[in-house]
Amino acid sequence: MENTVIKIENLVKRYGDLIALDHFSLAIREGEIFGLLGPNGSGKTTTINCMLSLLAFDKGNIEIFGQKMTPVSYDIKKQIGIIMQDVAVFNELTVYENIDYFCGLYITDKAERKRCVMEAVEFTGLGEFLKFYPKKLSGGLLRRLNIACGIAHKPRLIILDEPTIAVDPQSRNKILEGIQKLNRMGATIVYTSHYMEEVEQICTRIAIMDKGKKIAEGTKDELKRMIKNTETITVEVLGLSEAVRNEIIQLPHVYRTEYDGERLTVFCSGGTHNLIRVLDVFRTHEIRVGRVYSELPTLNDVFLEITGKELRDRKGDSHVLS
Amino acid sequence: MQIFKAFFKVLKKSIPSSLIYIIIFLSISLVFAFSGQEDKTVFEQTELIFCIFDQDDSAESRSLVSYIGKQHELVDLEQDEDILLDALYYERVNCILLIKSGYAKQLAAGNTENLFERYTMHAGYADILTEQLLDQYVASVSAYLAEGCLLPEAVQKAETALSVQADVTYADFEADTEYPTVLFFFFQYLPYILISVLFNTLCPVLLTMNRNDIRFRTDCSGIRPASYLLWNSAGSVLFIIGIWLLFMGVGMILYGGLYVGKAWIAALNSFVFTLVSASWAILFSCFSPGENTINLITQVIGLGMSFFCGIFVEQSLLGSGVLAVARFLPAYWYVRINNMLSGNEPFRSENVLVFLLIETAFAVVAGMLALLIGKFRYRRLSAE
Repeated sequence: MENTVIKIENLVKRYGDLIALDHFSLAIREGEIFGLLGPNGSGKTTTINCMLSLLAFDKGNIEIFGQKMTPVSYDIKKQIGIIMQDVAVFNELTVYENIDYFCGLYITDKAERKRCVMEAVEFTGLGEFLKFYPKKLSGGLLRRLNIACGIAHKPRLIILDEPTIAVDPQSRNKILEGIQKLNRMGATIVYTSHYMEEVEQICTRIAIMDKGKKIAEGTKDELKRMIKNTETITVEVLGLSEAVRNEIIQLPHVYRTEYDGERLTVFCSGGTHNLIRVLDVFRTHEIRVGRVYSELPTLNDVFLEITGKELRDRKGDSHVLS
Repeated sequence: MQIFKAFFKVLKKSIPSSLIYIIIFLSISLVFAFSGQEDKTVFEQTELIFCIFDQDDSAESRSLVSYIGKQHELVDLEQDEDILLDALYYERVNCILLIKSGYAKQLAAGNTENLFERYTMHAGYADILTEQLLDQYVASVSAYLAEGCLLPEAVQKAETALSVQADVTYADFEADTEYPTVLFFFFQYLPYILISVLFNTLCPVLLTMNRNDIRFRTDCSGIRPASYLLWNSAGSVLFIIGIWLLFMGVGMILYGGLYVGKAWIAALNSFVFTLVSASWAILFSCFSPGENTINLITQVIGLGMSFFCGIFVEQSLLGSGVLAVARFLPAYWYVRINNMLSGNEPFRSENVLVFLLIETAFAVVAGMLALLIGKFRYRRLSAE
């Protein structure tokens, strides 16, 4: 049986009247890439800060590596690497000096530290920038430096708190690949994000949070199975009559339709060949259609169905949350 | 050790902004010390420039001109009012002397009034010296006449008597003093430099080392918060002592060797003030000021305290209202001690001790406030 690396039981954290964490429980096993998914303000960072004993909590219990986590659990802290959502490095130190400084907080042996720093440099691809100061680095390189500072001491548990915010797609992919590589090298990863694609891409298990509560937990397939929707079909069509819409909703596995005068959205639950049946209706009535596409449910659909709201604001920037 | 090393690496980046203060202050001090000192061991009588018009043209009046010429420089000028006024105005001559017609006769008759007309630019030292010279001369001649000498004999005897120069030995009070003027000025201006350097250097370093994200990340490691504080404190103390030692070294160069006696009190006074400046800088850094605010506050505190407390302007020239306010500032007590050491006010060792304790109190209060605010901020950070 896999060992439990992090065990959180009934965690409660209040900021005055606001409940940031409401009886939150979680168990993360060794070797996992565990995703903590939720919109801003859902309690992800608060959970991490409580896990690291950087933040006092009102109720509950946290165990890491089988031991109760307290502010003075320095032996446990030494085995954890943290990568914050804000880049926390010294602007006055070079790339090498920064990694060396943070690595030196864990490893005192100079030779070993140098080896670890160079491995972190190689891992993050910062070799060419060792003598650069952070202000001279691009956003992506800064994020990589932030990661290098967090992993140089080879922690058993790595916590990444939204490490890809404001990072270009190329750098983001490199970061995600790096996280998977770290996991393959034996580290357990806790990854918080509000980017569902990232979480879907790399996490072996996911917990979805909202308003300080865990609303769902499981693998991405398990989560998707929790909801009614299994397929969403979208058809661009003009002037669709009520009769045709009624015919479509009568089709097997279709449980809901939406039409805005230009686009018909058909929600299906289970079944196969749903798209063919829908298109057959249009062919029968000789209705010309534009683009047609079928989508499998995403974590956003899971979030939407469970909470009644979207994880991400579709109207605005793709990274802006509702 | 890692924190300690990082402290100095960050410090290295802040030093250039303070270096300008240090270089200017040291340069001025050294230039002042080595080029501004006059040789005060040889006495020389002041020599004035006279333009004499002898209307009497007697043997006695010529004798007077000759007598003056032996001690002072004589120049010839055209007897034109504009030329004479210009010469006085541009200080080509210090005194224009007119020996009136009938000088010898009046002198022989014992009349010493209205023998001369004398013009000087203003009532300065030249005016006093010439008046003194002529009064002495006339009084001496009169004395010999009263003794029964004839005028030529009286003039000769008077000139012989007046030509005797007293042996002047320069009493160099600084030769045996432990606190020469150059050191007084060095220590007098030191507070402004200490404030500027410590605020401009220590504040940015402490701000960086106590940045929330850096503290957060450090707290995630196996480093205890107390250890972090300790290493930062050690770095600060080392830097503060280093800065003080640097200035003491320069002071000793100016002094010409190891301090003796009172100079050590000045050194102790400056050390206490260094602690005051450092504690104020640490306290100020607790409020997370921006770079521009640091510069502004440095100037306000540095210049403000310097003007209020008598660093730039002597305390004796400051109004009682200003001095009453200045008592609430540490530099006031620093300057009081410096004044006592230089002899500007009576030296009393018990006062020195009290003033040093008052300065120390400023440092202790600021240090404790900084600790309290730091602790409060850290707790608030942990609670958020």
